[in-house]
Amino acid sequence: MQWLSDFTMTLQPSIREFRMSFYLLNRNRLQRISLIVIVLLVLVAVFAPFIAPYPGHAISDTNPDDKLQPPSTRYWFGTDELGRDMLSRVIYGTRISLQTALIAVGMALLIGVPLGAIAGGLGGVMDEIIMRITDVFLSFPPLLLAIAMSAFLGPNLRNAMLSIAISWWPWYTRIIRGQAVSIRERQFVRAARAIGTPKMSIIFKHILPNTFAPVIVQASMDIGGVILTIASLSFLGLGAQPPTPEWGLLISTSRTYFLNAWWYSTFPGIAIVITVLVFNLIGDGIREVLDPKTRRF
Amino acid sequence: MTQYFEIKNLSVGFRTFEGVREVLNIESLSIGRGETYGLVGESGAGKTVLALTILGLLPKPAGIIHSGEIWLDGEDLLMKSDREMYGQYRGKRVAMIFQDPMSTLNPVFTVGQQLQRVIEKQQHIKGEANNLKALEMLEVVKLPDAGRMLDKYPHELSGGQRQRIIIALALACGAEFLIADEPTRNLDVTIQAGILKLMADLQQEFKMSVLFIANNVGLVNVVCKNAGILYKGKILEDGPSKQVIRTARHPYTQMLISAIPRDKSEKLKFASLVIKAETEKGCPYYSRCIIAEDDCAQRTPMLEPIDGAQRVACFLAGRRVP
Amino acid sequence: MKRFILRRLLLGIVVMLGVAFITFFLTRVIPSDPAAKWVGPRATPEQIAKARIDLGLDQPLHVQFYKYMGDLLQGNLGSSLRTRRPIMLELKENLPATIELVLISTIAAVFIGIPLGVISANRKDQWIDHLSRLFSVGVVSLPTFWVGLILQLLFFRTLHIFPLGGQLSTEIKLTMEIPKITGFLMFDSLVTGNFRIFVDALWHIVLPGITIGLYPVGLVARMTRSALLEILNEDYITAARSYGLSERIVLWSYALKNSIGSTSTVVALSIGYTLVNTFLTESIYSWPGIGSYIASAVIGLDYPAIMGVTIFSAFSYVILNLVADIIIALDPRVRA
Repeated sequence: MQWLSDFTMTLQPSIREFRMSFYLLNRNRLQRISLIVIVLLVLVAVFAPFIAPYPGHAISDTNPDDKLQPPSTRYWFGTDELGRDMLSRVIYGTRISLQTALIAVGMALLIGVPLGAIAGGLGGVMDEIIMRITDVFLSFPPLLLAIAMSAFLGPNLRNAMLSIAISWWPWYTRIIRGQAVSIRERQFVRAARAIGTPKMSIIFKHILPNTFAPVIVQASMDIGGVILTIASLSFLGLGAQPPTPEWGLLISTSRTYFLNAWWYSTFPGIAIVITVLVFNLIGDGIREVLDPKTRRF
Repeated sequence: MTQYFEIKNLSVGFRTFEGVREVLNIESLSIGRGETYGLVGESGAGKTVLALTILGLLPKPAGIIHSGEIWLDGEDLLMKSDREMYGQYRGKRVAMIFQDPMSTLNPVFTVGQQLQRVIEKQQHIKGEANNLKALEMLEVVKLPDAGRMLDKYPHELSGGQRQRIIIALALACGAEFLIADEPTRNLDVTIQAGILKLMADLQQEFKMSVLFIANNVGLVNVVCKNAGILYKGKILEDGPSKQVIRTARHPYTQMLISAIPRDKSEKLKFASLVIKAETEKGCPYYSRCIIAEDDCAQRTPMLEPIDGAQRVACFLAGRRVP
Repeated sequence: MKRFILRRLLLGIVVMLGVAFITFFLTRVIPSDPAAKWVGPRATPEQIAKARIDLGLDQPLHVQFYKYMGDLLQGNLGSSLRTRRPIMLELKENLPATIELVLISTIAAVFIGIPLGVISANRKDQWIDHLSRLFSVGVVSLPTFWVGLILQLLFFRTLHIFPLGGQLSTEIKLTMEIPKITGFLMFDSLVTGNFRIFVDALWHIVLPGITIGLYPVGLVARMTRSALLEILNEDYITAARSYGLSERIVLWSYALKNSIGSTSTVVALSIGYTLVNTFLTESIYSWPGIGSYIASAVIGLDYPAIMGVTIFSAFSYVILNLVADIIIALDPRVRA
């Protein structure tokens, strides 16, 4: 596992930078609140079965006697057309949104990062080919590819995550490739090349660890957007399927009833807005902290 | 009697990540109407900051004016609001020739468009008359082929050409007070001479007062009636330029002057290395001063008249530096 | 300059080829049974077999691709499963309504988003900046489809100001003759002097317009702000101010012109987002555009239609970006 320790060793300076950036992030009051909210959301997602008042409602139970009840002390967010407690469903929805977003972004990174490193590290024909492919993928309007792919793969949450990963990877490839190209020319890489280290080894041992930072930043900024995308796909019927309590799906189902059951559309929507908002705010904060490195005062 | 232009006790600082950095600490500086004052200092001494402070264009959150007065023709500019500065002074009465012509010219407009904008604003001329005036300005700064020059973009011009455009822009304002921030920096010697003569002529003709900022003492001697030596934001010596240069009293001034190569045989006695520890109080030049004594690190010298109109801020004034 | 445009055009064509290839991949290679997908879930085995022959699925892949490209170039996108009509025709019918919405969002993005960004950058950290930034980041966090529902809830259900959906009220649709010159309702009714229809159409476009316009405004405002922040720090801005030029000129001419590149890029991007957002909003408002078309296609598993809209949108987006890139090339520095 030598390569692993080499890998972590080269990451050291970036980790230190990370810690410092983290400190600075907490300066702004809005960022601090966002950070707290994110932690809360994660807690809600993890402990959903214990927090939700009617965990069964989020999964498979139905309760036809209490259908379409407005918010009350028993059902804080009201109930849906099958009498299920909206609060519990929204809470479980947190779990789904966070999970799927992380997986989708993770998959996109898994595809995009190595491709970018190879493109930037090897240069030449490989670089051209990969970048052209990236261009083609990026020429699709955002979301469109995910919609089409989900439709053709079959509408379910797993395919939705896959579709998103396949639409998203080109962004990361571009970032990594740009970084790789600039690092490629640095002394230590040239030295490694001079002693005859095989190209692949150079790419993964030297170039890759140093290109991580900006892509991690971008990925964390993307989580908000991915959550929105998943909700949109589910809304169209291409993502989560009933009875999964995914927020977008909840809103979609609410369409039939919402004019007389305002709570049905409102609460899942608010959940989406708050979640996406705090991730976007943190993303903004991260970006601001990293950008004016040159303009520090 | 108050002078046309006077600075009193100006203290300016900059907010940085590590705290506030003091940049300017000028006790007094005065320029008479129609006179040229040469401010000499090395890079980082605070010359451009002074120019921006006069115009009220210090970068907003970073620059702080702790205290001071800047009097122009009986009015304290530091008391003016931004609106007043814009409406009455900038361009109209005070204009600036900037140091770096590449960064101070707008890259997406032609030189002609930029020139004509200024002419339109300050001289209130439009259309064909404006065009003619622009050509006139280019000729004043001795730019050949003025007609074609107007349609060029800044990146299409050479450094020297850009420099002269910057000068033309400032002159096009028609202001009575000109701040020239190293206006001949990138120009070769012959053009330098030409520009200096031009400024002298204009000054004669329009009774322009000029604050001439330079990093080279020799230049100052040629055009300026009075000169001041700026070091780390503080004026160490000033007075009539010929006198200051001929009989420099401050060790720093002597260093600067000795650095002018008069002929090849004279060795450059330039000492710019820090030889002692930096001090918080005391003379700002202490750390590089060859003849400094311990007392110099304790008390801050103020400008004292030493010979007629010449003033020095040094406890050991008059001693010749070996 | 001309060489640049030519090069860019070539790149655009290559990209479109790539797009066509990917969509081909999607329809023929990925699904387990493309023929079955093509004829829909209720097809008989005979229909599936026929489709297999029609689509040429027994042929080797490159022959299939050849036929596919041939069809595309002729504008043949196949026929919809639900209506049996050629998809290209249906797209053409549905296009104007969507274009109306896209137009509104673009106008909003440019005339509200950009000024918002400029003012925000100029008054950095003042109350108007904070408000504008909060607005921008808030608005891009909103799910468009949800906004549509909430607006309907508020303005139709509770306040009874705006209609629930559709381009015109049923009363008008039944009693009056709708002018049809360009297909653009607002334009046609205005030109033929049919003010009642025009006002009705205007009233109906408010809610969908707001729904679809919010995101682009927020996005463009954000991007413009960051571009302007960098620009306003430049020396030439200080110099311009020193010459006594008015803030109006300094901001809106000197500074803004330097941001053309990033501005046009982000406006193109926002149009791309808008296009996809129409998929989400049109069905909510029963707006007869491409969005409703694809939404019902998805529900009805009308794969040819889904494919058709995908190809069409992708191609439009490519052309849009081409235009944006050409605008960027207008920057004199790029021409050098």
